[in-house]
Amino acid sequence: MEKSLVDLENGTTCSSWNYSGQRLAAGSADGFLSIFDARDSASSSFTRSSKSRVHDTGIVKVVWIPPEYGDAVACVCADGTLSLWEEVVEDAQPLQWKLCKSFKSNSSQVLDVQFGVSLSGLKMVAAYSDGHIRVYELLDPLELKNWQLQIRNNLIPPRHAFLPLSLLYDFRFVLMATCIKLLETTNASLCLFFMRCPFEVWEFDQAHQRWLPVAELALPGNKGDQVYSVAWAPNIGRPYEVIAVATHKAIALWHLGLIPDTDGRLSVEQVALLSGHAGEMWQMEWDMSGMTLATSGSDGKVRLWQSNLNGVWHEQAALEPTT
Amino acid sequence: MPVVAPFSGDTRGVSDSSSNGSIVPFSPEAPNHSAVYALRHGLKPPIARLSISWSRGNTLRVSVLRQPSDDGEAGGRVVEVNLSNGDAEISDAQWRRIAYGSVTPFALLQSRRSSVSSLSKMSISPSHYHVDWWEYVMEYSKDIVSLLGHRKSPSGTVIEDPREIVKTVEEPTSLKAAWDLMEIFYADKQSQPWLPERLVDWLTDYDCLLSSTQTTVHSKLVGFQKELVSLQVIEDYPKYWEVISSALAIGWLELVVKMLRLHGSYELDQLGNRETENGLVEAVAVLISKMPRMRLELAEGKAGECFMAKPDFMKAIHSGNPSFHLTMNRIVLSVAGFDVGNYSLFPLLINQGLESMNSLAQKCMQLKPMSSTHRLIELMVGILGENTEVVLAECSRAFGPWMVAHATELMTAGSDQAEVLLHEERDNLGEMSIAELHRLVYAQVLASHVLTWQIAPVYLISCMKQGMGLLELLLCKQPVQHNETLLKNIEICRLYDLDSVSSNIMKVAGVYHWKHGRKGAGVFWLQQARDEVRLNRIAKYLFDSVGKSISDESFKQWEGLIELLGSESKTAGGLDFLHKYRDFKKSLKQVQVGKTTDASRQAAESLISLMKNPSTPQQFWLPLLYDSLKLLNWQERPLLSVSQTNLLLNKLQELSMAKLRPDFIEVDLPPQALSSVRLALATNLGRAILEE
Repeated sequence: MEKSLVDLENGTTCSSWNYSGQRLAAGSADGFLSIFDARDSASSSFTRSSKSRVHDTGIVKVVWIPPEYGDAVACVCADGTLSLWEEVVEDAQPLQWKLCKSFKSNSSQVLDVQFGVSLSGLKMVAAYSDGHIRVYELLDPLELKNWQLQIRNNLIPPRHAFLPLSLLYDFRFVLMATCIKLLETTNASLCLFFMRCPFEVWEFDQAHQRWLPVAELALPGNKGDQVYSVAWAPNIGRPYEVIAVATHKAIALWHLGLIPDTDGRLSVEQVALLSGHAGEMWQMEWDMSGMTLATSGSDGKVRLWQSNLNGVWHEQAALEPTT
Repeated sequence: MPVVAPFSGDTRGVSDSSSNGSIVPFSPEAPNHSAVYALRHGLKPPIARLSISWSRGNTLRVSVLRQPSDDGEAGGRVVEVNLSNGDAEISDAQWRRIAYGSVTPFALLQSRRSSVSSLSKMSISPSHYHVDWWEYVMEYSKDIVSLLGHRKSPSGTVIEDPREIVKTVEEPTSLKAAWDLMEIFYADKQSQPWLPERLVDWLTDYDCLLSSTQTTVHSKLVGFQKELVSLQVIEDYPKYWEVISSALAIGWLELVVKMLRLHGSYELDQLGNRETENGLVEAVAVLISKMPRMRLELAEGKAGECFMAKPDFMKAIHSGNPSFHLTMNRIVLSVAGFDVGNYSLFPLLINQGLESMNSLAQKCMQLKPMSSTHRLIELMVGILGENTEVVLAECSRAFGPWMVAHATELMTAGSDQAEVLLHEERDNLGEMSIAELHRLVYAQVLASHVLTWQIAPVYLISCMKQGMGLLELLLCKQPVQHNETLLKNIEICRLYDLDSVSSNIMKVAGVYHWKHGRKGAGVFWLQQARDEVRLNRIAKYLFDSVGKSISDESFKQWEGLIELLGSESKTAGGLDFLHKYRDFKKSLKQVQVGKTTDASRQAAESLISLMKNPSTPQQFWLPLLYDSLKLLNWQERPLLSVSQTNLLLNKLQELSMAKLRPDFIEVDLPPQALSSVRLALATNLGRAILEE
């Protein structure tokens, strides 16, 4: 049975669960960050434990930072600022959410942000509207305020931008799509970005400290298709990775081999093309085993996809929200 | 609500209309497309956005966000949907009891499997292995069955109502019926020769379940029993004979005998008139109660005579009576004036094998097309068809992940072909086997609930290929705030040698406590995690704060922590250093530049004593000297003697050597720090030499 967990306030624009599913962070159109907590680990009733003003403009995305670095979130705001907030108890003060760091730039806006834990520590990949990807590294594992710019990508074709959308958990790969700035509306803060195929997989070359494209996820006929969303499946032991790429046509599932050929490229194979959602795809999420894909789209449905024993993918169920 | 049975099996080649070729639908209502379930959120439309997130196991959380509005209603709601298979027949609490109860038998069987396979590697004869294996499986099956409910106990002691044909006892579950059926066909090798009789028993126990969707002998009997009270001349009533013939057809002999004795000729006032008729009926009743049955034993009150071996049995059947059962059938039916030619499953069961049973079953289903088939019938048809994949798919569809994960053990015991099919690695499944896949799916169901996730590891570790990966993920997703869960987590890691996961969990816990004002607990868990990087940071942080604030109160606050750190952390230096460091900082503050006082001399002495002390961490050497620049550059006269200055210079030399070592800790000082210290020392040395 469905169970209602949390009521969100008017104007909530985005939400995100932490690693254990015990805390929910929600951002609102008026720039507030709300945190909801379960009373105990067995409880499914959540109450708001904090509400703080993050910014003057609305929050468009909230991302939790990996738990090894504390209870903290990154908020991407509508005007392109990025701020990191952390829950701390300092000296005799009560528990509070504190601003650790704010990334601002006059020339470009942050569009998206992802975190990855590598051997050397916490990394943050941010996509900017000027077409740069910046990779930051946390200097002090106990303080979220000191970040060092590690890489500003050096491979941007002019007029194009990259948007990292999915980061593999161990930070080996990042997925990027070329992003073409199509339209600037009258509202100067709002730019629309459309990602287009081919979707590329980039790998971080530790030896030379640079990102290199290693695979391209598109069939010849699909180049130029608009990409809505992408999701990297958790890999619990497969000899290949599974990636879902949603375009305006369908959801393509790709297998990515892990052994590079002599040119350093990885083999790719499109294993399924799933159509179901009419209109725009909003989100794709893999379950923890990487065997079920959940998707949501502008048709207002949540769809669940699975493969049968022969490796044939199909829609297993759909959930239709009703009042 | 959503009953998403993940991973339907393959039913290619099965002409079952409810399976659309390659995929077994998980909902019988929607054979040709995926089912759409309503997700009730209770919000006023319009809905602006849906955001999805997976929680534990098969739990999906959907954030339903509305367009901003001023109507005073909630702006959105998060709804949780559990996609695990539910079974309406069995309550959640009962399911958990079954889940917990099946862990031990499952684990025992797995450990036996691994010890048997290591024995067979040591070239112990394989036949030996086969002989023993099904016995292990039977033991396992018995353990599981005992969890699913108790067998109906024959009510021998109560005074029986002679007019009560069918006893109403507690309804058995379809799950148990299905398990029993699998056991009969796959695991119980010993009873293979008596398979038909076991089926008769099975039907006795579970025919009432099938009555829910179709007319069965059981439902006929129940219906007839209701009418019995109002019947006067029972033998004139055609249904009486029909029910008797049905019961006989499926071998419920004692019921037949009992019903025959309800015949009107037994009535005391009738006996005189109908002596011959009564004799005939009684003769039939006696014959039936002495019918040969090929089985080990009969419970008390059951009709028939047992024969254990087929030759004896066949001899009994054919002794002077070539077609015993059919004759019986005919006698009964002709007494009733019935058309002979009714089907009789029972004799066929005895004389034929599975193949003919299957074709008979198919024929019956064609003759009597049913609008909805009971899940047990679907399973039975799959078993009779001897198609492992269909049976698996039916198990999964009708009885859910628990059933498939556990019943694969019965199926693999049944045949080598099933063993190969279920245990071979498949490219489609990322190199895991079907058996493993079903265990993973079941483990995910277990992981969905806070009360059952702890038993998921037992199933995950039995999956060679991907189980460990999922277990690691599962453990990393457990919350660390509550000590009880944390300790349980660490215990599981220890059990399965997951050191890196365990240290990561402890690291998360350490950081959590450290950041939430419980510094002691934070340090403790970071030490358990052996997180040197964070511990060094904390050590430095502590020294810094001691250096900055020298009030006794805050010093006390840190003292305990320093002690905690000092015992294990090599870099923390211990309390001894801390005291000296604090004294040094104190005296340094009292020094007034330009005036040689006791304070400045004392500060210089403190510096030398700190630098000489072996417990002073190396990482503090340069900061100490840098802090003391004003002492080294003392205007009036050099504060340090030649030997003292040499000592400090040697320490600097040692420091530059240490820099080459990998474990060297860089300190956070201005880049010119080293050179300014060096210059100050050199100047001081020159002046000291001149003075001396």
